[in-house]
Amino acid sequence: MVLALEDMMFRYRRGEEELFGGLSYVFEPGRVTAVTGASGCGKSTLLYVLGLILSPIHGTVTLAGENVSAAVDAERSRIRAESIGFVFQDSALDSTRTILDSVIEPALYAGWRQNVAQDKGRGLLDRMGVGHRADHRPGEISGGQAQRVAVCRSLVTDPVVVLADEPTGNLDQANAEGVLAALSEAAGSGGTESGGGGRTVVIATHDPFVIDVADEVLPL
Amino acid sequence: MRPANLLGEAVKTAWVTKVPSALIVLLVLVMCTAALATVGRTAAAEQQLHQRLDSAGARVLTVTEPSSGSHELINPATISQAAGLSSTERALGAVTAIDVLNGAVGDGAHRVPAWGVYGDLEDAVVLDSGRWPEQGEALVSEEGMERLNLDEPAGWVQPSSTNGLDDWAVVGTFTPREPFGDYGVGVVYPLDEDVAAVTTLHVVLHDGNQAAAAQSAVLGILDPPASDHLSVQSPLSMAQLQDELAGDFTTFGRTLLLGVLAGGAFLVAIVVLADVLVRRKDLGRRRALGASREVIVGLVVLRTALPATLGATLGIAAGLGIAGAFDALPPWDFTTGTVVLAILVASVSAVIPAVYAATRDPVNVLRTP
Repeated sequence: MVLALEDMMFRYRRGEEELFGGLSYVFEPGRVTAVTGASGCGKSTLLYVLGLILSPIHGTVTLAGENVSAAVDAERSRIRAESIGFVFQDSALDSTRTILDSVIEPALYAGWRQNVAQDKGRGLLDRMGVGHRADHRPGEISGGQAQRVAVCRSLVTDPVVVLADEPTGNLDQANAEGVLAALSEAAGSGGTESGGGGRTVVIATHDPFVIDVADEVLPL
Repeated sequence: MRPANLLGEAVKTAWVTKVPSALIVLLVLVMCTAALATVGRTAAAEQQLHQRLDSAGARVLTVTEPSSGSHELINPATISQAAGLSSTERALGAVTAIDVLNGAVGDGAHRVPAWGVYGDLEDAVVLDSGRWPEQGEALVSEEGMERLNLDEPAGWVQPSSTNGLDDWAVVGTFTPREPFGDYGVGVVYPLDEDVAAVTTLHVVLHDGNQAAAAQSAVLGILDPPASDHLSVQSPLSMAQLQDELAGDFTTFGRTLLLGVLAGGAFLVAIVVLADVLVRRKDLGRRRALGASREVIVGLVVLRTALPATLGATLGIAAGLGIAGAFDALPPWDFTTGTVVLAILVASVSAVIPAVYAATRDPVNVLRTP
C-alpha cells in the first residue's frame, strides 16, 4: 500500500509557524525512507501526521489512495492499530508489564484474540533474538534489546507502514545496526496486505549511519 | 478491542497502580459503610416501624356497643356485612369476657377469662391440639390450662358466678392470632349462630391506610342512632402517623444517602483524575498504538469500577457489621441498592477524568526531549 502526502501543512497552534509548506511525497512500499533535517524542523511531527495522531491543517495523508487524515478519530485509531506500527525514540515500553504483553498491545487494540497475539508476539521476539526475555520487565533488559522489542511491537499486527522516531538515538553502534537491520528486513519482508510488496518504513533521524542505510531520504 | 481484552487490561492497570486503586477501595468502602451505618439504620428503623404499624394489631377497627341501652347493632347480619367489605381482612364479633374456672375443681379454683366469639373461630385463634369446638365446647390456651390446673385439654370449665350460662367442655388448645393476643390467657368458645347481638365488633383491615374509609363504611353498616352511641377504636391516627413518619424517613434518608454518595463520588473523581494525570504517558502510548478514545474511556472507567466493587463488598460487610451491632440491619433491597449505587456512582465519577484522558494530545507525552 502506498502512503502519500499531498500539499500537506501543519501547525500546532493558531498563530504559530506553519510546517512543511505544502509537502507532497510518496513513500514507496518495500523501501526505507529517512526523514532528515535540523532539530525542530518537524521530523517527529511528520511521523505523527503520517501516523494519524496529528491532523494536517491543509492537504492530505493517503493510504492506498484513501484520504485517511480526514477520517474520524475512531477510524484513525483503527487504522493505526491495524495498519501502522510505531517505534518511539525511547522505546516507550510499559515498565509494569512483561515484554510479551508490551509487544502484543497494538494487536489487542486491533481486536485480536489474546492467545493469537501472544503466539505472534513470541514468534517476533524469537526472530529478533529476545524471545528468552519475553517474560521479563523492560527494566530487566538493555536499551538495545528494548528497542528491538519496540520493533517487534510495531510489527505485531503485520502493518503496511512502520514509523520510527529516532530509533537509534539512544543506542550504541552495534545495537543501532541491529535495530536498523530489523527495520530494513521489515520493509522487505512484510506487507502481506499490500500483496507482498513490502512495508513502507519511515524513519525520522539525524543519524548519518541511518541515512546511509536508507533507500530514500526526505530532507525537511 | 475485545471486551475480554479490555477487562484484562483494566484488571492489570488496577493491579499495577496500587495506590489509586487502594484509595478507590477505601473511598467506596467508607461510602458504603457510612451509607449503611447511617441511612441503612434509618431504613431499618423505618422498616421496623412499618412492620409494627402494619401488624394486625395496628390494623384493627374495634366498635363496642354498651350492653345497657343496646340497640343490638352488632349482630350476625352487620358482622357479615362488615366482613364482606373489600377493605376487610377478617371480621368477628365478641361478647364481654366472663370468668370461668375448672369445673372439676369447682369454687375456689383459679379463674381465667372466657370470650364468646361470633364468626369463624379460625380468624381469632390457631388450633394447636384437639379439635374445633362445637356449641357448648371451648378451647383453652396453654397459659389458661396452667392457670386452670388442666394437665390435658380435657374436662370442662364453668362460669365462676351463676349467670345462666352453661358449662363448656374443653376439646383442644389454641394460640391466639394477632390482634387477639388477649385471648392467650384464657378460654374461647363459639357463640350460638342465632345469637341476637354481641357487644364488640373487631374488623381487621388489609391495610391501615384504609382506616378512614373502613371506619366510615362500618359505621354506615351499624347506623348508630347517635354519634356517641358506639365506642370506636380506630387505626386512623396510626395510619396518619405512618404516612408522616414514612415521609420524614424517606426525605431524611434520601438526603443523607445523596450527600454520602456525592461526597464519595467527588473524592473518587479526584483520585481518578490524579491517576490519569500521573499515567498520561501510558495513556498517550496506548492512543499512539491504536487505542481509540472509547477504549481509553472504557479502560479508565473499568479500572475504577473494579476496585470500587471490592470496596463496596468490604463496605457492605463493615456497614452490616456496624448496623448489626445496633440491632438495626437494613433491608436487603436497601443493602443491594447501596452496593449497586456505590459502584455506579464511583464508575460514573470516573467518566469525566476518563474523557479528559482520552482527549489529551498524545504527542506531548510521547516526545523525548
